[in-house]
Amino acid sequence: MVDTIPALMTGEDNFEVVRDQIAGLIKANADEQVILAAAEPDPSLWELRVFTERSNAWEQFVNIDVNDAAANFSPIVNVWFDRSQFPGATGNTVDYQRSSSTFNIDIVGFASSADDGGTGQIPGDQEAALVNQRGIRFVRRILMAAENRHLQLDRTVVGNRWIQSITSFQPQLDSNPAQQIVGSRIAFTVEFLEFAPSADLSNLLEEIRIDVHRTEDGEIVLQQQFGESPP
Amino acid sequence: MNLRVVAEADLAFILEDGVYGFGWPINVVNPDGASQGLTGYSADIEQLIDDDTGTAVTGRLATAAIRIKTLTIGLPIAIADATKKPWLITFDDINGTEYTFKVQDSAPDRALGIVVVTLELWKS
Repeated sequence: MVDTIPALMTGEDNFEVVRDQIAGLIKANADEQVILAAAEPDPSLWELRVFTERSNAWEQFVNIDVNDAAANFSPIVNVWFDRSQFPGATGNTVDYQRSSSTFNIDIVGFASSADDGGTGQIPGDQEAALVNQRGIRFVRRILMAAENRHLQLDRTVVGNRWIQSITSFQPQLDSNPAQQIVGSRIAFTVEFLEFAPSADLSNLLEEIRIDVHRTEDGEIVLQQQFGESPP
Repeated sequence: MNLRVVAEADLAFILEDGVYGFGWPINVVNPDGASQGLTGYSADIEQLIDDDTGTAVTGRLATAAIRIKTLTIGLPIAIADATKKPWLITFDDINGTEYTFKVQDSAPDRALGIVVVTLELWKS
């Protein structure tokens, strides 16, 4: 006979919360940028279309009608969870573990060749790359803005966030698809705590637990418990 | 008769027979704006072959095959220079919807007299 977790497991793990928060921040900021760009010649240049955990979000570019005035050519952003690593030296075996998780943020840009209105042309391959890089620029700035230091989540839970790499996928020379699409991936690492479900700890040995807090005036204080079972 | 000459002559039936064959109306426009209507072979499918794996992947592949001898406005080639107009190819799909493409890649076979062009989307 084994002990089981007595309570129904509901709610999301923090990696799901962080993933959705990343997407939410990108979307909210992109929408705000479009509003701020109202006086610009083309405010739609600040638009991003944001998805989470989609396997083929860029499919809408595959059969898009480039001559359709209502078609949306804004970069597509797809946020998906890649992996979590749990360093053994941090956290504890009872109630929380520190996670270093990587979220992949795929950015897809589309463009088509067009007449430039003069004696030349707008090359679709170059334009698609520029659209893609515009998306990268916006996403990077949003995620690394000071306001998003802790992704606007509880700073006692979300510790740090960092862009590990930005990689672009160049079209293969011999494929020559009719669509000009360029993709990039931002590998985004976030450190946060994952909490274990509550358990009966009455049989455990005494555990010393120290919590680190920052007071309102910025002072760092340590809080330590003696002789009590963790909540 | 030289077989190569025969093969080139056969292109009239292979590519340009729009009545009993697969020939299809195609319009070609060169960078100077000169336009020529002719009959050739057009394709517009939704499948590519991934070069690394050899497997089929989603992606629109549009091509046209034209008899070089029929062309009077020049040989379609890819124009990468943004200060110049590209070659444009227009043809209908089977349902009569017209599509205009830019020549993205050109593969002329001067031995047999046929040019195959790979096309990309063009915003009219």
